[in-house]
Amino acid sequence: MALWALAACAKTVAPGTAPSAAGPIGYLRMDDVIKHHPLYPQLAQYDQNIDALTLGGTVPHALAGADVKKQQALIAKELQDAANRTKALLDQKQKQYQDREAQAIQQALKASGVSAPGAGTVASQVTQTAGVQSADASRAAQRDFAAYQHSLAAQNENELNAMQRTIADKANRTYRAKQDELQAKEAALTLDLANKDAAERLALKTKLSSLALDDAARQDARTRLDALDRSEADQVGAMKNRDSQTLATLQTKLRAQVQADMKAQAAAINARALAKLQSRESDLRREFAAPAMSSASTGGGGAASAGVQNLPPALRDRIAHLHADYQKQFTADAQATIDDFQKTRLDLSRRYAALGGADAAAGSDAHDQIANLQHKRDELYDQMVEQIKREATTLAHQRGLAVVVSNPVAEIRGVDLTADVAKDVETLHE
Amino acid sequence: MNKYRFPIIAAGALAVLISAPAALAADVTDIGYVDQEALSSLPSFASANRQLSDFGQGLQRQFTARAKGASQDQQQKLQQQFQSEMQQKQQQIFGPLFAKAQVAIASVASSKNLSVVIDKRIVVAGGVDITSNVRDLLTSPSDPVPPVATPPPSTVGYVDQGAIDNVPKIKAAEQEFATFRNNEDKTASDKMKSAKTESDRDAILKDYRKTLDDEGTKVVKPVLDQTRGAIADIAKKKGLSLVLDRSMIIFGGVDITSDVTGSIK
Repeated sequence: MALWALAACAKTVAPGTAPSAAGPIGYLRMDDVIKHHPLYPQLAQYDQNIDALTLGGTVPHALAGADVKKQQALIAKELQDAANRTKALLDQKQKQYQDREAQAIQQALKASGVSAPGAGTVASQVTQTAGVQSADASRAAQRDFAAYQHSLAAQNENELNAMQRTIADKANRTYRAKQDELQAKEAALTLDLANKDAAERLALKTKLSSLALDDAARQDARTRLDALDRSEADQVGAMKNRDSQTLATLQTKLRAQVQADMKAQAAAINARALAKLQSRESDLRREFAAPAMSSASTGGGGAASAGVQNLPPALRDRIAHLHADYQKQFTADAQATIDDFQKTRLDLSRRYAALGGADAAAGSDAHDQIANLQHKRDELYDQMVEQIKREATTLAHQRGLAVVVSNPVAEIRGVDLTADVAKDVETLHE
Repeated sequence: MNKYRFPIIAAGALAVLISAPAALAADVTDIGYVDQEALSSLPSFASANRQLSDFGQGLQRQFTARAKGASQDQQQKLQQQFQSEMQQKQQQIFGPLFAKAQVAIASVASSKNLSVVIDKRIVVAGGVDITSNVRDLLTSPSDPVPPVATPPPSTVGYVDQGAIDNVPKIKAAEQEFATFRNNEDKTASDKMKSAKTESDRDAILKDYRKTLDDEGTKVVKPVLDQTRGAIADIAKKKGLSLVLDRSMIIFGGVDITSDVTGSIK
């Protein structure tokens, strides 16, 4: 039956000493009693904070993972839109310059007495050859670049995730080690105090339960019991306060360190990815730009060489000169458009990189906060239960109960200690 | 967030009702308890845990390798297959140890005339701690001898909450509430994301909790009330003092699960 649970590691709290060898069964509903404990509001606050974090109200202004992905997708779309706009603009400019060049060549041919169809053929050969080669190269380059970008993004994400885990784990280990160390000291102090005062406390409680006690003696016993409670609570409380401050300082320090480490690492990873991307992009741009320029510039003397070779040398030079002029103007104009795009791309890339860092840091921060809160909540709950059990043990002793259990499924004839323990617990440290 | 989850009801929620008067409390001397955590640290159990953990890690590696490129359906089948293998291994490794532990506990309980042995975790005060006696028997070279006498009749009963949760009407209520909770989680989560201030967030949380409480009262409470009523009636008829969850019973006690499931169907 329950022995199957042996494999699991269950947290237990030591039950009290046997109050009576024989006697009735007692029980208490722990869930009810806990609500009367002076620290219950703190416990409820933990629950509320955990709910808030779990439901995604995490850290104000911090982006959740899904939001970051959405933002990244938006940025990627903006980048693609900017690239499309630039390409359309360049195509338009190219066509304008080619038309103007064709008109100028046609006028030059007309002026020198060469027939118009011949001039049109020369101009159209120049523009068509350049256009086809440029479009093919552009399409291939874009496909290649998109594939590379995709694989780099996946690689980048894996690297960021691994880095995030490593840094968060390291900080968690540091925090937990300190927490364990302080907790052990607090537990040792609590135990020492409880052991030291146990005999006196039991004697006082037994005395208080005696009906024959006169008022003065009862008051005295109560005062001494209160003093014991206060003394224990003060000592443990002082230590806990110091420890809380130590942990809070450590947590702040670790959090700042984690954020800084993650930011730095994310920046390095993103910078590496961006550098790779930029390098590939500039390679492609060079590959893409060179044939386009050469097609256009050699178009006058290469692709259209058959038509151009039949022209007089002076006219050939004139056409070549015209072509070079328009090409120069187009390159300058296109460069301005490309520069604008580069600025947009850099800005979007920076925003993308910043989002990557924010994602890693925000995700880890929320996860850490939930784990940390849950741990504190469990710790507080255990302490409250421990205190409740001590009170219940005293009551059980006074009432001669043989055994007291918590949270039965149903109680028929046992002694219900819930209300009395709740009352005792409510007045703790009053 | 876990409120009204049936598996948790086992120890908590069911205990909230049925407050029969605590009259006629009979004396008992026959309730013992065992610290299972202490027993689980015995070398034989620790070694078994390691074996099972190693086996589990091996299975996990196999699963990862075989699940690569498999469809979702195939992955689900693989998972079921590996879970079944894990259970078999657990039975194979722990079966003999548990059997020995059961005999040891029964033997100590018999020698101390205990009618029931429960888990230390629910003992607040009193009771007979037999952990060290059981540990001695488990670490001795010879096997513990089973008791000759059967345990004396106990005034402690128990129910298997898992079996009760499977009663159709309870299962239906559980599912209805789980679906409601999932939807509420999503709604509240969306609201929290767009909340601007702390007071907005507090208001959303308050509303979320109230909505869940109200739905729990509407959907879950009626079946819980009926179950608690049935448990109390049966316990009274059988002369039991209190009823615990099965997971807290280690030895002895009176199983009233089938009576309860039969009466609430």
